[in-house]
Parts: sequence; C-alpha cells; structure tokens
Amino acid sequence: MIKRIFPALLPLFAVVLIAETAVRAGWVRSYLVPAPSAVAQALFESRQELVGAVLTTSASALLGFVLSTIIGIAIAVFLSSSRAIQRAFYPYAVFFQTVPIIAIAPLLVIWFGYGIRTVVASAFVVSIFPVIANTLNGILSTDPALRDLFRLYGASTWTTLFKLRFPAALPQILTGLRVASGLAVIGAIVGEFIGGQGLGSVVDVARTQQRVDKVFAAVLLASLLGLALFGLINLISYVTLRRWHESEQ
Amino acid sequence: MLRRNFLCAFPLFAGFSACSKPSNKIRLALNWKPDPQFGGFYAAPYQQYPLDVEILPGGAGTPTIQMVGAGSAEFGIVSADELVIARSRGNDVVALFAVFQDNPQGIMAHASRKLQGIEDVMKGGTLAIQKGLPYARLLEKKYGFAKVNVVPSPGGDITAFLADPNFAQQCFVMSEPLTARRKGADVVVFPVSEIGYNPYTTVLATSGDYFRKNVRVAAVMTMAARAGWRAYLDDPKPTNQHMNQLNPSMAADSFTEVAEAQKPLIDKPPAALGSMTKERWATLIQQLKDLGDIQTAPAPEDCFRNVEMRLEAMPVK
Repeated sequence: MIKRIFPALLPLFAVVLIAETAVRAGWVRSYLVPAPSAVAQALFESRQELVGAVLTTSASALLGFVLSTIIGIAIAVFLSSSRAIQRAFYPYAVFFQTVPIIAIAPLLVIWFGYGIRTVVASAFVVSIFPVIANTLNGILSTDPALRDLFRLYGASTWTTLFKLRFPAALPQILTGLRVASGLAVIGAIVGEFIGGQGLGSVVDVARTQQRVDKVFAAVLLASLLGLALFGLINLISYVTLRRWHESEQ
Repeated sequence: MLRRNFLCAFPLFAGFSACSKPSNKIRLALNWKPDPQFGGFYAAPYQQYPLDVEILPGGAGTPTIQMVGAGSAEFGIVSADELVIARSRGNDVVALFAVFQDNPQGIMAHASRKLQGIEDVMKGGTLAIQKGLPYARLLEKKYGFAKVNVVPSPGGDITAFLADPNFAQQCFVMSEPLTARRKGADVVVFPVSEIGYNPYTTVLATSGDYFRKNVRVAAVMTMAARAGWRAYLDDPKPTNQHMNQLNPSMAADSFTEVAEAQKPLIDKPPAALGSMTKERWATLIQQLKDLGDIQTAPAPEDCFRNVEMRLEAMPVK
C-alpha cells in the first residue's frame, strides 16, 4: 500500500516544501501565492464554514452528475436506435459541449432562481456531453459477430440492448463518467459563483477580501471533491468490470 | 482654483521633463471595461508629458491591486478600501489620485416598495450584493441579513432586478439606475455613503517600490490624470466616442448620461481634483479595523501621496 501511495506523495511534498520556502524567503509575495502553512491555517480557522460549503457543493455536484448520468445514457440509447435519429439530434448534443457555461450561468439564475437549482443545472450542462458521447460510442462499437449471434437467435431489440450492447459499452460509459465527474464539480463551482452558496461563494468572497490563503484552501477542497467523485467511479468500474474486462484485471 | 493649481505645476513639469529620459511604456490596468468612470484616464494628454501609456481594460474581478503590487502593471485603478486591506496584507501599494471623492456605490430598489432608506432594504425581499465587500459586512453588522435573502451580485446586469419587484441590488449610483429607468423601471437609489461608509473610489495607484524608484513618472502620471479629468469633465464627448468604440456594448447615450451624473461625485471644489486627505484615510482604516477586515492597521499617511502638490519641494536632477 505504502509502495503504491509513496510515488504520488513525493511530488506533493516537493511542491509544498518549495512553495513554503519560496514564500518564507520572500522570493514569492504572500499576497500572490500563499505559503502552504497559511493555507493549512485558513483550513483550520474556517473549518466550520468550509465543511458546510463542501457539503453544499458536494450535494449540487453529485445531483448534477447523477442527472447527467441518467439523462445522458438515456439520450445515447435513443440516439443509437437509428442513423437518422443520430443525424437529427447528435449535433444538439455537441452543442451542449460547446456552451460556454460562464456565459450562460447568469441566464440559469433567471431561469432557475438563486440557489441549488441553478448550481445543479450548471453542473448538469457541463457534465452531460461526455456521458452521451462515450455511451453512444460504446453502444455503436459492439462486436458485429456478437450482434449477428443475437440476431440469429431472434433476440428482440430490447434484449440486444440490455444483454449485449449496454454491457459491452460499460467500459466506455465509465470512461465518460470519469470525465463527467470532474466537470460536474467545475460546473457546480461556476454555478455557485452566480447562484450563491458552497465553495464557489467562499472563493468569491475570499477573493474580494484578498484572502488568497482562503481561496487556495477552498480550491484545494474543490479539487479533493473532484478526486473523491473520480475515486467513486473507479470503485464502481472495478466492481463491475473486474471479472470480464481487461482494463480492471 | 483647480486650473491654477494645475498651471502652477506646469512650468515645473516643463523643467524636469526636459531632462528626463524618453519614457518606457507604462501600463495602466483598469478594473472594468472602458466607461465614464475612467473617462479622465482616456482623455489624459499623456504624449504632452511625455508618457507612453497603455491602458489595459479589465473585467469582473480583475485583480488590479495584485497586478500593481506584482509589477505586472505600473499603475492600476483600485478602490481605497481594497488598498488598505492590501497594505495590511503586505502588498505595498500607494494611492496617487482619487477620482471619486464621494463613494459612487449604492443600493437600488424598486420605488413601488416605498422604502425610505438602506435600513428598509434589509427588511425583506432579495438583495444582490458581493458579500466580500466591506460595506456589505457593514450593512450586515448594522442591520443584519436575517430578513433579506442575500444573493451574489450579478455585476452590472439588471435582468433579475427588472423581473422581480422585490429585488434590490448593489450598483454604481450613476450607472445601473439609469439603465433600469431607461428600461421602464421606477427606481430608488440609496448611496452607501448614507451609512457613513465613504472611501475614495476609482483610485489611481502604484506600488511603493515603483513609486520610490520612479517618483517623477508617478508625479507626471498624476498630473496627466488630473489634466485628463479636467478635460473630460469640461467636455466628455470626444472621449466618450473613443471609449464607446472600445466598449460598444454600452450605448452611446449611456456614456453621455453617466458622464453627467458622476460629475458631482468627482468635482468637489475647493478640493483639487483627485486630492486626498489623511483624515479620510484614517476614518476608512478605522472602519475596516472595526469590521475585522484588517488585523494590522496601516498608517494613513502611508496609503497615499498627493505627489503633484509636493513636486515643488523636490530637487530636479
């Protein structure tokens, strides 16, 4: 275990050490980059506020992510049903990916009001596309030999979808979910800048107060939140794929 | 009086400009897009001084105070309260010229609510405000936010305000209210100075380090700014046209209206344009200390330099 973790911790220690030395020696000004010790102190001093903010952001990001997962997979299944449908609707799915969230976030407030609905909508909009694209790609690249086999045995469309195409697409769906998990956190934070609450609001306020230590503390927590979601998907991936897919063996 | 001050400084300027080396490019970082609050900086006749100034337009959250401190811009536009907070955190920035003598920030609400003052705004409805701003916390301390739904400020956007009659938002008293009125809203505005919070705003600042090494450039830049503001106050039209080209998202009419509306907040005779007093800085520092925004209070006299006034006392090398 230690052998696995150690290589990842080494760069972290190095960066912390260099940053701390650079700030203490006065090579970098503390109002531009805070010393890691100052960030740790901010984390401790504002722990109550930050824990509350992490919980709020987690709830919004998770909700947005779950919605993207359900709706994204449903859309991908729908798109996979025929070439014509794909041609008609896929460009609109691509449109979602290209929407600059920071530009439409103020509109989300008008549509959904201040608070969690706007934040969830923002997380949803930025995280749905990788789910659609990867799921669709996975469903469409089912082994043709297996498809022929299902057809030969007279399997219905639904049976083929649920017994063959969907399980075969699972590795790619999970890849889409890994990308979407990080994006959901980013979307939630952007939504919180505009809609209020959570880590986004903490960053906004701390930035106005020139508290770079607190900004870094909040950003660190947001990154850890993204990492936790990513880890959750990895766990699901391991549990569902380890017995049959080489990526988890 | 103002003109005389300026003219008095002029021969002096001619004296040392002749011996100064050709200047390098000087960057002036703005904290918002080109609009009338920066009019004088766009109107300033820099080439006469001779200064080669590049104005860098900003946007929401442009960290001009950090940019100036870090030297990524020689001069920047900041507000007095952020300068005090910066100094207390070790960012050595000094103010040279304060455009707004009276704080142009305020809260706007719908007249239909029949509110009598800021206190009434806190009694219900929604208030969009940047919670990190010192005056937001002063409001919270004074009146409490228990009855009002506080949401993030939408910047200069007034869509939510127009849609909801119980919506109030922070504003520049000469800017958003005019836009809202033009769109048919009946607006009432309460200046933040009403609650005794009146820091200098749109302040030309530089870093202490740059100031010490380039005191003459800082002085000349201040003079150019003062000349620019006088010219802009007298005739804003040509500069407005220029700024409108740089910022076409703001209507030409708005430039004219805002430029007119901001005049009384900028030109406060007998005080010279842009000048600052130790007392005003001391009051602000005390307020920020009371609010807990700063742990260590900087000395008021370290926060600013009325540098142009002191030119006469300086030896010309």
